[in-house]
Amino acid sequence: MKTDDLIELLARGAGPAPTAVAARRLAPAAALGLAASALLALALFGPIPAALYALPTPWIKFAYAASLAAAAGWWTARLARPAARLVVPRRAVLAVVAAMGLLGIASLLATAPGERATALLGHSWSSCPLSVLALSLPALAAALWAVRGLAPTRPMAAGFACGLFAGALGALGYAVSCPELSPAFVALWYSLGIGLVGAVGALLGPRVLRW
Amino acid sequence: MRLEAAGAAPGWPGAVRIRVEPPRGNPPPPSDTMADDASLHDFESGLKPLWLRAQAGDEAAYRDCLRRIAARLRAFLRRRLQRLPDDVEDLVQETLLALHTQRGTYDAALPVSAWVLAIARHKLVDLWRRRGRQEALHEPLDDVDESLLAADVREGSAHRDLDQLLQTLPQAQRAAIVLTKIEGLSVAEAAHRTGATESAIKVQVHRGLKRLAQRVKA
Repeated sequence: MKTDDLIELLARGAGPAPTAVAARRLAPAAALGLAASALLALALFGPIPAALYALPTPWIKFAYAASLAAAAGWWTARLARPAARLVVPRRAVLAVVAAMGLLGIASLLATAPGERATALLGHSWSSCPLSVLALSLPALAAALWAVRGLAPTRPMAAGFACGLFAGALGALGYAVSCPELSPAFVALWYSLGIGLVGAVGALLGPRVLRW
Repeated sequence: MRLEAAGAAPGWPGAVRIRVEPPRGNPPPPSDTMADDASLHDFESGLKPLWLRAQAGDEAAYRDCLRRIAARLRAFLRRRLQRLPDDVEDLVQETLLALHTQRGTYDAALPVSAWVLAIARHKLVDLWRRRGRQEALHEPLDDVDESLLAADVREGSAHRDLDQLLQTLPQAQRAAIVLTKIEGLSVAEAAHRTGATESAIKVQVHRGLKRLAQRVKA
């Protein structure tokens, strides 16, 4: 095949380039992953009592997971495009995690010293990160599939970003079933679970994100 | 320039043997190896407006862009593949296919050459991986510059045969590509001919080219 012939083939009737390709692939993946994690959480753990929604903590969980999903999704979309600038979205991810960390520390400082360990560990600290990881797996598969169809040139970083994105979506779903009440708990164990999903994504990236 | 399709192949929708018009616009002259930053700047500033028109659907501008990019890619890859000279033209073509199927990932805020280079590097690393790391270790890396400075319009020989590649596609994808891209029918005409909808034709062409981009690695 002559290269000129290939160019002719590609150019002929090519039409305009598709736009917003990253958003078009990532948005359905996010919707699917979030629905799967929320449904799995309700099926496996059941919903939290409605009275808990009068407290701030469920809303803090939702806000944290949703902002992290937005920031990590932005970062993922950039990593799916060759040569795109990464600094600002990466800072957004760090800022969200740091803000939640500060909120957690503030809530611990406001707690009586004798009750701090209970607030931090809750009663589900050992299962929370693993639950987040498990509930994030559908979102991780969907995000990796979405990015695989784009053009990630840094597969490990892209896999990590996919993992954070999926982890945040999984945590968002898990929040409908998680009865823990301390923001410090959320800052530590939710973040750890989301980080675990990020690690799984980074491991899978170089294998899965080949194109 | 001549595109030929194997008429003997079974299941081939409309054996084609067509002539393609000679290139419009002049291909960039082969620049010498002493190209400097100004040359890269010229390349980018010449390419960018053309590329933006191509992205908006200007077919002639797109053809021109791909020719300019191919010449730069060839020179870039030739320098980087001194031990694998037979792979250069194949990799030029693989990269062009990747650029085309991923043209939606280009961000107008970026230099076109940076985007092209990122994809070319990715394809190069992928080739090294396929050829085994041993080969990669033998590549002289230090004395080769990492840019699209030079152009090379001397086309080498590529090994892949378009017809054979097309034969490996599912029938609907192959038909959509042959009708719109080789026979030159409009999407509406191809839809009428095959009984598929226009959007289905577009999807089949896109999927077929994506699949071709994967197949060319084999």
